[in-house]
Amino acid sequence: MTKSYPNTLTLSRRVLRVLTKLNLLMGALILALLIASLIAESWVMRALGARPAPGNSMLFVGMRLIMVIGLCGVPIVHLILARLLTIIETVSVGNPFVVANAVRLRTIAWAMLGLELTHFAVGTVAALVSTTAAPLNIGWGFSLTRWLAVLMLFVLAQVFEQGARMREDLEGTV
Amino acid sequence: MPIIVNVDEMLHERRMTLTELSEKIGITLANLSILKTGKARAVRFSTLEAICEALQCQPGDLLEFRHTQKKEAI
Repeated sequence: MTKSYPNTLTLSRRVLRVLTKLNLLMGALILALLIASLIAESWVMRALGARPAPGNSMLFVGMRLIMVIGLCGVPIVHLILARLLTIIETVSVGNPFVVANAVRLRTIAWAMLGLELTHFAVGTVAALVSTTAAPLNIGWGFSLTRWLAVLMLFVLAQVFEQGARMREDLEGTV
Repeated sequence: MPIIVNVDEMLHERRMTLTELSEKIGITLANLSILKTGKARAVRFSTLEAICEALQCQPGDLLEFRHTQKKEAI
């Protein structure tokens, strides 16, 4: 059981590095798509499954807005992955119970909240521009689990901070 | 820190070194140095008991409170 522990850390570090690169790649792709939608609107929108029709201008605006929101999500995800990677580094060094990690965990919690808000914004935009004639189906759905995860992260950050302070006190105990 | 730990004086009176005390009570020299220099945040009763036992003294002989005047905000 304890033998697999360092392997888990190495695996997590690799996964996070891959995810960081994928996130940046995704951001570049969204940006390329957004630029392409401005240059060759009908071609891009047709490729995305939206038929060019007279009443579809709002749909196109909505799709572009979703792309912009998606771009906003890239730095947020990058922040989460970077902070998580730093936390993992402190675990491998052998000193994870520090106040700095509690601050990182709280930053992750705020970033997750930000992501949820962007997710909510995407859903709102889709609902506003979608019509029965030209539906915008992006598979949006409310998830209580994600909101609970945000709440849990804030609680964990608080617990972590308390634990780190207790450890600091214990270190000075003779 | 207004709490002063008088281990040095007690050791001098008992003609004992810090290393000897460390060996006698089983607390590392590093930890005893932290205690001696007033860098410790807290002292366990078990540590205090062991030091008192080894130096044949009372906790009051080891610990002293010295009032320090705090800077008042202008």
